[in-house]
Amino acid sequence: MSLIYRLKQSQPNFTHGIQDYLGEIIPFSQRVKNPLLKVPMVALKSLEWAIYRWHKTPIRRFYGIKSNELIYMITNACNDKCPKCGIWERPEPKEQHLRIQHFIRCLTRLHHNLYQVTLTGGEPLLFKRDVMLIAEEAKKLNVPMVTITNGRMVDEAFLARYKELGHILVISIDSVSREKWNEFRGTKSFDIVMPKIMLARDILGDQLRVQSVLSRESAEEIPKVVAWCKEHGIQHNTQLYQDFGAKNWSNLVTHQQMVNDGTPCAARKNICIYPNGDVVKCFDHRRIPLAKQPLGNIGEQDIIEILCTKRSTEVSKIMKTCNFPCKAMSCNKPQVLLFK
Amino acid sequence: MSALIIPCYIRTEWDLSCLRRLLDSVFAQTKPFEKVYVVDDASPLKYDIGQFAIEHVVLDRNGGPARARNVAINKALQAGYAHLLFTDHDCILDREWNTRMVAFLDSSDFAAVGGMTYSWGKTLLDRYHDLNGTLAGKWLLPDRKELWYMPSLNFGLKAFAAEEFPFDERFPTAAGEDVDLCLRLRSKYRIGFCPEAKLWHDYGYKNSFTSFPRFLKLFQKYKSSSATLYEGHTVLMWDSSESIYEGNIR
Repeated sequence: MSLIYRLKQSQPNFTHGIQDYLGEIIPFSQRVKNPLLKVPMVALKSLEWAIYRWHKTPIRRFYGIKSNELIYMITNACNDKCPKCGIWERPEPKEQHLRIQHFIRCLTRLHHNLYQVTLTGGEPLLFKRDVMLIAEEAKKLNVPMVTITNGRMVDEAFLARYKELGHILVISIDSVSREKWNEFRGTKSFDIVMPKIMLARDILGDQLRVQSVLSRESAEEIPKVVAWCKEHGIQHNTQLYQDFGAKNWSNLVTHQQMVNDGTPCAARKNICIYPNGDVVKCFDHRRIPLAKQPLGNIGEQDIIEILCTKRSTEVSKIMKTCNFPCKAMSCNKPQVLLFK
Repeated sequence: MSALIIPCYIRTEWDLSCLRRLLDSVFAQTKPFEKVYVVDDASPLKYDIGQFAIEHVVLDRNGGPARARNVAINKALQAGYAHLLFTDHDCILDREWNTRMVAFLDSSDFAAVGGMTYSWGKTLLDRYHDLNGTLAGKWLLPDRKELWYMPSLNFGLKAFAAEEFPFDERFPTAAGEDVDLCLRLRSKYRIGFCPEAKLWHDYGYKNSFTSFPRFLKLFQKYKSSSATLYEGHTVLMWDSSESIYEGNIR
């Protein structure tokens, strides 16, 4: 998942401004029914837009609004070999793996602004010690944490402490039948993970969630997973399949259906960290030409400094009108709508 | 059982006349409030509101509307009121406002409610605010069944939600503190919209030309609170909302 560096395309230009302006003005102008009012109203809206864009305020940036989600892809490595996912095929070299102290510093710097820190991968629990360090720190900083795992490495001691810390554990399941499970995971892990899910349910209670990926291949299995979760009192969420480079699975719904759901992308709220410490606003950042290069690296630079750069600002603005299939992912949905 | 909370910072005679006009509309309600708290945030202008039915709390130092509201919230919670309603000194309540807000909270599982806000003035600038929905709250898209955000000038909370989610007193002015509250609140509860609970907000425009600087200053103030927006720290779900106006009220 390393990003391609293209410096020439990393400079903002005036078309981004025009795109942002039209995104505001066109919907507003449609509200003005009186033709005599069109021009003055659009002029006033333009002024408002200009103030929001250019007015410099002495009160800067950090109010402590808990509006951001910090998502850490702690590793690309995984102990499963799911055909739906190509991330595990590109584990990061050991020397490129970010030191945990750098991530803890990033979390500490941002915590006033975070409503959640999410750990994903690869398989995060391959770095179980680091996960627990982050979980302890998040608890101290009063930031709720979510860890997304395949469940293979959870154990009683981990679950007991995780429960005490009050964080959420999401286990990824795409089938509840042994044969399909092992096919979807690329390893014979059904008999290893299933007892651990039951253990996690007993220890974590409501802090355990299950998430499934809906694709053409898993379509028949997902209703069974939903029913199984209901039977065992576990909250469940379904996410549409996304292409992460594996290309072995296929979407059940069309690209048009995924982008035409009426919901704009909200990934601007996200601050995403790759295993090597690279910072992006979205793990699908590379779709935006200006964002092919990461915004910075938390191993080398302070996170706030990175997020306050002009390019970070411009990327956020461009993302306002993003309309890619990845907006259907859980990280772009309001938390209140998930796991219902 | 509803309590009305009005934070105020009275700098001019105009502010004072606004407050008196609001209190007239408060006492003209078809369903009276059980309690009205006017929290004076250490105003430079000294005044007497002359209403015995009001608890007039005067703070000894200016701390912003978030702190002022929290002072009254604590008092209202201690007194056991079920619904805490909020408005500002430059608003005028519809006679049915309390009835509608309370009925909505009583009959729904929403933890908070917002009403419909109209401009009091008739200038072009006021008309703009009505079309823009500047202070009318925002629908959560795509369903438009609950609110993403509601400004605190036309807002109500059930007591348990107010207890759990006080205003953040780090906000120094009347800008952004209500957005912050709604974002935090929505992590657990939902905010409903009651279009029948109407009030009017006086932006203080005398006419469209002489009041133009006031119009610009208003948005400059809002920008100051939402500097995070264009500086790389986007407000949660900002994009999936739509401001409310007459045309999308239902």
